[in-house]
Amino acid sequence: MERESLERFRTRVRGWCEENVPKGWRETQAGADDQAVVAFQRQWRATLQSGGFLAPHWPENLGGCDMPLVEQAILAEELARADAPRLSLYQVAIYNAAPAILHFGTDEQKNRFLPGIQHGEVWCQGFSEPGAGSDLASLSTRADRRGDAYVLNGQKIWTSWAMHADWCFILVRTDRNAPKRRGISYLLMDMRSPGITVRPIKQATGAAEFCELFLNDVEVPMANRLGPENEGWQVAQTTLASERGVSILELAERLHRNGLEHLIESATGWTMEDGSPVLADPAVRERLAGFHGEVQILRAMCQRLIESMVSRGGVGTEASIIKLYYSELLQRLMDYATQLRGLPGQLEYQLLLSGGWETGNWLGDFLNSFSWTIAGGSNEIQRNIIGEQHLGLPREPRAPGES
Amino acid sequence: MDELDDLRDMVRNLFDDRASSERVRAAVDTPGGYDTGLWHTVAELDLLGLLVPEALGGAGAGLPEVAIVLHELGRRTVPLPIVSSAVLAPTALLGSDNYALAAEMLPTLTTGERRAAVIIGGPEGQLSPACWALQWVERHGQYVLDGMAGFVLDAPGADDLIVAAHGEDGLLVAAVDAQEAAVTTAASTDRTRRLGTVSFDEVVVPAARVLATADAAGVLVARVQSVAAFTTACDAVGVAERTMEQTAAYAQVRQQFGRPIGSFQAVKHKCADMAVAVECSRAGLSLALDALRRPGERDDAAAVAAVSTAKAYACDAAVGVCTDAVQAHGGIGFTWEHDAHLWLKRVLLDRALFGSPSWHRRRVADAVLPAETALAVS
Repeated sequence: MERESLERFRTRVRGWCEENVPKGWRETQAGADDQAVVAFQRQWRATLQSGGFLAPHWPENLGGCDMPLVEQAILAEELARADAPRLSLYQVAIYNAAPAILHFGTDEQKNRFLPGIQHGEVWCQGFSEPGAGSDLASLSTRADRRGDAYVLNGQKIWTSWAMHADWCFILVRTDRNAPKRRGISYLLMDMRSPGITVRPIKQATGAAEFCELFLNDVEVPMANRLGPENEGWQVAQTTLASERGVSILELAERLHRNGLEHLIESATGWTMEDGSPVLADPAVRERLAGFHGEVQILRAMCQRLIESMVSRGGVGTEASIIKLYYSELLQRLMDYATQLRGLPGQLEYQLLLSGGWETGNWLGDFLNSFSWTIAGGSNEIQRNIIGEQHLGLPREPRAPGES
Repeated sequence: MDELDDLRDMVRNLFDDRASSERVRAAVDTPGGYDTGLWHTVAELDLLGLLVPEALGGAGAGLPEVAIVLHELGRRTVPLPIVSSAVLAPTALLGSDNYALAAEMLPTLTTGERRAAVIIGGPEGQLSPACWALQWVERHGQYVLDGMAGFVLDAPGADDLIVAAHGEDGLLVAAVDAQEAAVTTAASTDRTRRLGTVSFDEVVVPAARVLATADAAGVLVARVQSVAAFTTACDAVGVAERTMEQTAAYAQVRQQFGRPIGSFQAVKHKCADMAVAVECSRAGLSLALDALRRPGERDDAAAVAAVSTAKAYACDAAVGVCTDAVQAHGGIGFTWEHDAHLWLKRVLLDRALFGSPSWHRRRVADAVLPAETALAVS
C-alpha cells in the first residue's frame, strides 16, 4: 500500500484528535479515584486503538501498522498539540513488554502474550529491589526449579501500576554461584498467581501508583522464561534501551506544548510582589527564553535520534544523553514554574494521573519529575554509561566476583 | 550527506596536519597572526569560496558546508580570517542588489588574493544601530563616512571593508578599500584571532560601491548579524567537541590513587556532562542552520529564535565545557604550555562576539513571549 504524504498524515491525525481527544478531561480527572482513573485509561486506550494509534510501532500482524518513525514523530507532536491524555497505565505493556517479547520470545510465547497486550492487558515491571536499585544486577529475588516451574521468593519495589497489572516481567536470580550479571533470568509472571502480595507505596506527590511486590513461593512455569536461563540481563538491557527510545519523542512534545507553552500562557496573568506582570520582568523573560531554547533543542535531539535509528537501526548512548537532558530540563522547568507561581502555587493540589508529567500543577510536577531523574537508570547511572560507552572512560572498580 | 562527510574528513585531516598546537602557536606570533601558507592552501581547496556561486569562481556550496569548515577551525583553534572574508563578506555581497560589485569583489576574495572584514557594530561591537559611532551623509550623489567602529573581527590586515553605517535616512552598507580607513589592532586575549579599531575621516564612497541603503540595508545588516552569530556558535561547538575528547583522553591515562582519574565519578560525570552539552549544542545548530538556509520561508520570529538560541546555548555550553576541562586537567591545565587555555580563551571570545548570550535570549524572549506592552499592569 502506498503511504500518504507526511502532510496529509498530519492533517488526518489532527482531525482525528479534534474529534476524539476527550473534552475537559483535565477537569473531570483532577482528583479522580483509582477506579475512575483506570476506567478513563481503559476508555482512552480503546479510542486510540480504534483510530489505529495505540501502538503504531508494532508490526501489522499484531494490530499495529508498522508506522515509520517519522510518522510516529508526527503522531506524538499532534497528540501533544491536542493536549491528549497520557496512556500511563499501558506504557509498560506497549513500550517495554511487547518489544521484549517480540525480540526474545519464541513463536509460542508471541502467540500467547502479544494478543493479550493488544487487547488491553496491563503489565508491570519487576526489576528493582530494596537492595538493588542503581546496582540492579545485585538483585536477590530467587527462583528455584521445581519440576516444570520456577518457585519465586523475594521482594520487588517501584513496580508501577502493579495493583492493576495482569502480568509482570520480572528479573530473578536463577544461579547464585555465577557472577552477578550471569545468574539472572527474565520471567513472565501471571499477577493472579498465588503467593503475590501487592502493596502500594504512597509517593512524595501523594499518588500511589508505585508498588511493592512480595513473592512467597510463587510458581512461574518454565515456559514463561523469556530468553535462555541466566541470560536475563541481556534481555533486560534491551528492554531498558527501548524504554529510552521512541517514547521519549512523546515526552519532548508534551514538555513543549503542555509544559512550557502552557506555563507561558498561564503566567500571562501572574504578577510580581509589586503588582507588575511576571512576564514583563527582564530576568524572567530571559529565563523563559532560555527554557524555550532548551526545549527546542530537546525536540531537535529527538528528531536526530529518530534519524539515527532509521539509518543505523539501533539506539546508542545518545538515548542516555537524551534521558539525562530531558529529565533535568523537566525538573528545572517545573522548579522555575513553581517559583514563578509564588504562594498560590503552594496550595494543596489534586492529582491528575492521566496528565503525565505536565498536569498544570507546577509544584506537583516538580515533585513528580524525580521519577524521571531517578527511575529507568538514575541520572548518575546515565552519566556512567555516557562516560564509559560514549567517551571510553574506565569503569568503576568492581567488587570481587563481579563481571 | 556523504559529500558533507568527505568535506569534514578533508578539512579535519588538513588541520590535524597543518594546525597542530605548535603551528598554531607559531602562527599567532607572526606579524599577520596566521599561517599565510595555510591561507593559500584553503583558497586552493575552494574553502574561501564556499558561499560564492560557481559563475563567480566559487564552489557554489552553502551554509552546511560553511558550518563544517568553521567547526573544524574551532576544533584546532586555527587562526585564519575565514569567518570575515569567506562567510560574512560574501553574505553581505550576495545579499545586495549591486551585482556588479559582488562580481568584482567575490573572485578576489575566493582566491584569497584579497581579504575582507565586515563592520556591523558599534565602538564596543554593539549590534543595535542606535549605538553605532559610524555615520554616513549623502553629498553630491556620493556618500561620506565618518566615525569609528571597534572590535572588528579580522580587520587588521584586511584589504576590503564591508561597512554598515548609520545616518538620518537609515542604514547604509558599502564597500571601502581598507587603505581609506585607519585600522589599529586591539590585542585580544584569544590570540588566535585579531580584532581591530577602524576609523573613517570623511571617507568618500561612490554610489557604485554601495551595497544597500535604507530598508534594504536594514535587512542586509540583520542577515549578516544572524550569520555572524551562527559562525561563533559553529566555532564554539568545534572547540567544545575537541576539548571534550582531549579531556576524556587525559582522564583515561592520568593516574591518581592508583587508577585513572576518569574512573572516578567526580571526573567521569563532568565528562558526561560535556558530552550532553556538545550534543545539545549540535542540535541547536541544526535548528539554526535550518532557519538560515530558508530565509523568508519561515516566519521571522521563529528564525530569529532559532539562531539566537543556537548562539546563546552553544557559547554558554562551550565556556562550561572548557572551564571544566581546565579543572579536570588539574595543574597542568593551568599552564601556558598546555592548550586548555587556548580552548577557553577562544570560546570566551566566541561568547562575546556578535551578541552576548543574554542579549540573544532577550531576542528569543521577544520572539516567543507576549510583548511587554501587551501585559496588563494591575
